[in-house]
Amino acid sequence: MTRILTIAHTVWLGTIRKKDIYVLLILLGALLLAMVSLDVFGLGGAVRYVKDLGLLTAWFFSWILAVNISARELPTEETNGTVFPLLAKPITRAELIAGKWLGTWSVAVISTMFFYLLIIAVVKYKGGSFEFIPLAQAIILHSSALSVICAIALAFSTRMNHDAATSITYILTGAAFFIVPRVPEFMARETGFAANMLMLIYNLLPHFEVFDMRKRLVHDFGPATWKIFFIVLCYGALISFTFILISWLAYRNKRFSRGNLI
Amino acid sequence: MDNAIEIRTLSVVFSSNGRPITALDSLNLCVPSGQVFGFIGPNGAGKTTTMHVLLGFIAATAGEARIFNTDVNKSIARQRIGYLPEHPDTYKFLTGRELLVMAGRLFLIRGKQLSDRIDEVLSLVNMQNVSNRKIATYSRGMMQRICLAQALINDPDLVILDEPTGGLDPIGRMEVRRIITDLRARGKTVFFSSHELSEVELVCDHLAILSKGRLIVQGPTSKVVPQGESLEKYFMKAVSNQ
Repeated sequence: MTRILTIAHTVWLGTIRKKDIYVLLILLGALLLAMVSLDVFGLGGAVRYVKDLGLLTAWFFSWILAVNISARELPTEETNGTVFPLLAKPITRAELIAGKWLGTWSVAVISTMFFYLLIIAVVKYKGGSFEFIPLAQAIILHSSALSVICAIALAFSTRMNHDAATSITYILTGAAFFIVPRVPEFMARETGFAANMLMLIYNLLPHFEVFDMRKRLVHDFGPATWKIFFIVLCYGALISFTFILISWLAYRNKRFSRGNLI
Repeated sequence: MDNAIEIRTLSVVFSSNGRPITALDSLNLCVPSGQVFGFIGPNGAGKTTTMHVLLGFIAATAGEARIFNTDVNKSIARQRIGYLPEHPDTYKFLTGRELLVMAGRLFLIRGKQLSDRIDEVLSLVNMQNVSNRKIATYSRGMMQRICLAQALINDPDLVILDEPTGGLDPIGRMEVRRIITDLRARGKTVFFSSHELSEVELVCDHLAILSKGRLIVQGPTSKVVPQGESLEKYFMKAVSNQ
């Protein structure tokens, strides 16, 4: 465990010192303040509007952050050659993968907490508030979704360079976010092979919509039932574990050579 | 005398555009403990490949390699090793001291033992005064020395150095030579590759010459190099006969 935590800590230091988080935090703050003060469509004063916009941007920015930091960790180690002294230590590749995932996921989660704090502050400034339990559930499920995203990006980055891993993770997770929830609609219109393919896509891609409690928070629908909440958490853990396992399988026998073959 | 490294009929074959490329061809090598062992050969001879197999970066196509009698494919085999790669690079966002803390923790060294060891290796590579500076601000020579310090953090019994003096100025080279001889005095095994043959001749007890993935000669430096002949001259003859 010490080795996993050491790797995670190094990921932390790297991300904090490379300043990605601050850029996103400042962007989120600026975007929220601009939208609220510009009073777009005359809705600037509406608490629900602020909540909706804030939560949407928090999801969007945490998605960008999670994909970017997770997809770059392993390829950067290889390009910079830092993987060599690292793997020359008594660390297994499983520990390296676990440490990278833990580091990137925890960075994404803590940054998301800051995004939520910013939204809470703006909502409070506008005279509104969030109910505690639904908010806590939303943050935990959001974190669970980030865990899946980090694991997917890490899995692709084991065999791809940074750019390719980032692009394919955006495409896959983007499709899972935006298309998967609508697949049942498409399926109703199709038959035969097309319907079977849609069914396959529906079952294979992660269902990020189950982690999304934004509507509950915006419209004050109250907390989700604990049973559903824990089922979704288990689902997130299972999908994350599957992708971490795939990462390890892809990485465990990977050959490393720098420059020429010999 | 025990062997720090034992390599038996080790072969590594890569595939490039569908064509097999033999990087190592049935290599047999024994590195005795407590010796400074020079591993030399022209570019593309397979020196780095051998080191990469020993460190578990690549798997051998055939044969076996053992470090202190442990299969190199087991991560525990690297517990007693220190490694400095050919083009050392490291996490530039860390300070020198943070890098050593990280390296030490990967060897499960903690607390006072770790901080004492960090002070020791920093003094060995003469970097006590700059250890709290970001590595990004280090010169090439300083980078080489901090990477050497992280390779020595676990007080390794076997130190593998891939071209440790490459790109260093004469003072830097002398420093590395001093560290190597210091390690030998402390009973450590140093296995290093170099193109600086005069340097190999100066510090090595044993040497092996590799060419095109095959071992040409191996033995004590005094026996391998004929009396009255320089290593450079002998090396040129040995390699051109291949």
